Amino acid sequence: MIAVSIEDLGWKYSGRKNFAIEHVNLEIEEDTFTSILGPNEHGKTTLVSCIKGLIPQSFHGVWRGKVEVFGKDVRNQSAQALADEIGFVFADPEAQFTSMTVEEELVFGLENIGLPLHEVKDRLDWVTDIALIADLLDKSPYEISGGQKQRVAIASVLAMKPRIMILDEPTSMLDPLGKDFIFEILTNLKKEHSLTLIVVEHNIEQVAPLSDQIVLMYDGNIAKAGPPAQFFENSAFLYEHGINAPQATAFLDQLKSQNLYTGALPTDLKDAIQAATSLLKSKEPSES
Amino acid sequence: MITTEEKLIEISELAFEYPDGTLALRNINLDIYANQFVAFIGQNGAGKTTLAKCINGLLKPNSGYVRIEGLDTRERGTTKKIVTKVGYVFQNPDHQLFNNTIYKEIAYGPRNLGLDEKDVDERVKEAAQVCGVEEDLLKEHPFFLTKGLRQRVAIASILAMRPRTIIVDEPTTGQDLRQSLEVMNFLSNLWQQEGHTIVIITHEMPIVAQYAQRVVVLGQGQILKDGSTREIFSEPDLLAKTFVKPPQITRLAQALNEYGIPKNILSVPEMVVAFNEAREKNLGNQTSQKGS
Repeated sequence: MIAVSIEDLGWKYSGRKNFAIEHVNLEIEEDTFTSILGPNEHGKTTLVSCIKGLIPQSFHGVWRGKVEVFGKDVRNQSAQALADEIGFVFADPEAQFTSMTVEEELVFGLENIGLPLHEVKDRLDWVTDIALIADLLDKSPYEISGGQKQRVAIASVLAMKPRIMILDEPTSMLDPLGKDFIFEILTNLKKEHSLTLIVVEHNIEQVAPLSDQIVLMYDGNIAKAGPPAQFFENSAFLYEHGINAPQATAFLDQLKSQNLYTGALPTDLKDAIQAATSLLKSKEPSES
Repeated sequence: MITTEEKLIEISELAFEYPDGTLALRNINLDIYANQFVAFIGQNGAGKTTLAKCINGLLKPNSGYVRIEGLDTRERGTTKKIVTKVGYVFQNPDHQLFNNTIYKEIAYGPRNLGLDEKDVDERVKEAAQVCGVEEDLLKEHPFFLTKGLRQRVAIASILAMRPRTIIVDEPTTGQDLRQSLEVMNFLSNLWQQEGHTIVIITHEMPIVAQYAQRVVVLGQGQILKDGSTREIFSEPDLLAKTFVKPPQITRLAQALNEYGIPKNILSVPEMVVAFNEAREKNLGNQTSQKGS
C-alpha cells in the first residue's frame, strides 16, 4: 500500500517571494525507510511538514498540488486524525517535553487517549526496550543528556503507535556516541512491522544503509531519488548538489567508472569491504 | 608534521578541577608550535573545551602551568595580554555577537585595548577583509547575516586582536557540506596564507583527516595520544577506546591491510591509488604463481 503520495506539490511561505518547494512528486510505500537529504534551506523540513499537515494547518502561505496519506488528502483531515497516523520527532527534543519524569512523559499521550492500564504498561515496556531507555524512567527529562532526551522523544512518539514516523534531523544536535544510539534505535524501528519511516538527515554514512529510498532535495525540488545503490551512482552530481556519498560508496563508484567494478554500489562498510576484497583477489571485474 | 622551533603554547602538568569537584583535566603536557593546524578530538566530557579555555586564560590551572608566548596564565594582569595572543571562537557565533553593527562588533576588542580610533579602524578593516566581510556590510546588524557569515564576523572580531593562535570550537556542527567546507577552507587559508596557528575542536573525523596536521586525542581529562593525523588514524584500537571512529575510507583501508593497502589512508583519491597499486601487485603475484 502507498503510505504517502505527493503530486506536484508546491508551498510558498506567506511574505516570501519564491516557493520553498515546487513541483514535488513522490511516492512512499508503506513499511519502508525513506531518507531525505540535501543542503540546509533547500526544502527538506518544508516537505516533511506538508506530509505531517503542519503545513498548511499551522502556517500561512500558498499551497499547490496534493498530499495523500494512506489515500486521504491531508488538507481534508483534522490535526487529531493526522496525529493518529503520523508521529513527528523534532531536532530539538525539549520542544515536546511536558512531564516531571521520563515515565510520565511516555505514558502522557497514552493516558490522554484513554487506553486501559495493561495496554499502557505493554506499550511502555515496548518503547522502553526499542529506545534503550530502561535506566532513565524515573529521571526528569530535563536532567538527562541531549542524546538521552532525543531517545525519550522518539519513545514518546512511538508509544502512540503511529503508522508513519517522521524524524527531522534527529541527530544534528548530538555527539558521535549520541548519534550512534539514535541509529541503533532507527535500526530497531526499521524491524517493526507496519511502520513507515521518513528521516531527514545530514549523516549520510549512517542513514544510507538503513534506507530503502533516498530523496535529494535541492532548491525546492527533488534533484534525485531512488534506492541507495542507484542513488549514489555519479558522486560528482551529488557533490554539485551539496552532498557527499559515503566514502566507501564513493570509492566503489570510482572503481565502477574505471570499469573495474560492475556490481551494485554497497552503502555500508561491511559490503564495501567484501566487494573490494573480491576485486583484490580476482582478475575479472567483480559483481558483488 | 611541520613544526617550527617557535613554541607558542607550553602546557606542563596541567590539572583543572571545576568548583563542583569534577576533575576535568589532569597530567596535561602539550606544546603547540607556530603555524601548526591542530585538532582536539574525543567524546563529550573528555576535556576538549576545558583545555581550550585553559589555553586562552578563561580558566586557570589548579596545578601545573599554561604559558602563552612565555606568559603564565596564572599571573595577575596577563589576561589582557593573552587575549591578543590567543583567540577563542565559540561553537555558536551568536553567543559572542552582541553589538548592533558588524563594525562595532569587530571594533569592540581593539577599543577595549585602549587603541585610538585610527588604529581601531585599521584593524577592523583588515580583519573584515581577511574574513571576506565586505566593507558595505560593516554597518549592517550581525543577525541579518547567514550563519556562515556570522561565524566569520565572530572570527573577524577575534582576528582584530591580532592573536597568532586561533581556537575554534566545533566550527562545522549543524552545518551542511558546503557550509562546512566554506568555514574549513577559510581557516585553512588563515593557516597557510596568514601564518596563524589554528586549533579546532571537532567530532567530524573526515574534516580532521582533510585539514589537520596534528591530532590530540583526549579522554577522561587526559591526553591519550598526540601525533600526526595519519599516525593517529592508523591506530583504530586507541580511537575505539574513546569511541572515535576514523573516517570511513580509513576504516575500509584498514580492513584491506592484508592485501597491502596502507592503514593510514585519509581520502578517497588516495584510496583509489593505493587500491590500484595493491591490485596490480596481488594479481601479478597470482599470475607468476600460476606460471611457476
